Amino acid sequence: MPRSPRIKGLSLKDFAILISDYLRRNGIETLLSGGACVSIYTKNKYMSYDLDLVLTASDDYRDAKKAMEAIGFAQKKRYFVHNDSKFFIDFLSPPASIGEEPVKDVAQITKGKRTLRLLSVTDCVKDRLAAFYHWEDRQALEQAALVASDHPVDLEEVKRWSKAEGMIEKYGRFLGRLQHAKNSR
Amino acid sequence: MYKGLFGSDKRGKILLYLFSHREAYPTEIATAFQWYLNTVQNQLLNLERDGIVYSRLRGKVRLFGLNPRNPFHKEIKALLGKMLDFVTEEEKEKLYRPRLRPRRSGKPL
Repeated sequence: MPRSPRIKGLSLKDFAILISDYLRRNGIETLLSGGACVSIYTKNKYMSYDLDLVLTASDDYRDAKKAMEAIGFAQKKRYFVHNDSKFFIDFLSPPASIGEEPVKDVAQITKGKRTLRLLSVTDCVKDRLAAFYHWEDRQALEQAALVASDHPVDLEEVKRWSKAEGMIEKYGRFLGRLQHAKNSR
Repeated sequence: MYKGLFGSDKRGKILLYLFSHREAYPTEIATAFQWYLNTVQNQLLNLERDGIVYSRLRGKVRLFGLNPRNPFHKEIKALLGKMLDFVTEEEKEKLYRPRLRPRRSGKPL
């Protein structure tokens, strides 16, 4: 049984780095997606407790479950929880995608010898916009604007992708929210 | 045909049901096909884990539908649309043709 890493009191970013690195050392490569990326890119202006880790191979789910249980996580419905942490983990099936398109640019955050793979800033904005476009999730729209106001984002790429998703009108609403977010800083 | 494409006959029929009804809850599907509720729930949970369907709570009911954020959503819909063409009229009428207009409460079926 592996020695359990100390997870008590870790920030979301450090927790994500630790888990991602632990899984990698067990042969399971993941990509952090969803609201946790927003938390990291906005320095917790928006706080997420849910870590969506996209697996690179469907067969990895069983191994990931075994690896998580080996360090004290328990499966609760589809999530993995730990008594020492408020964060919970959800493993998503591959492929990593944003709407209809595969994720091509992956960002990395390194701390010491540990590395976290996560959505790039531009893909993080697209990921949140996908939730707004398809679910009318206004909180996701705010998150997209928050990330884009804090970081340089390839807006031409976001526009191209929005058009490909058939959502160019809603992209206009995003630009409005982005301007508003920039003005209120 | 369903088994070859979706890995199981039931999984294919559930997807076809969601495609034709847009959203449905597990008991509704189990009743329509006269299957055990557990069977339907397990299939839906697996489909949700694979990102093919989504679920959302409406009141106390968990509704399932085809996930528009799945990268193959358009292709899955196109495939299911084509499959529906091969379903008999009788089966379509019984299982895959939802009544969308309202029905006044208390009105006999």
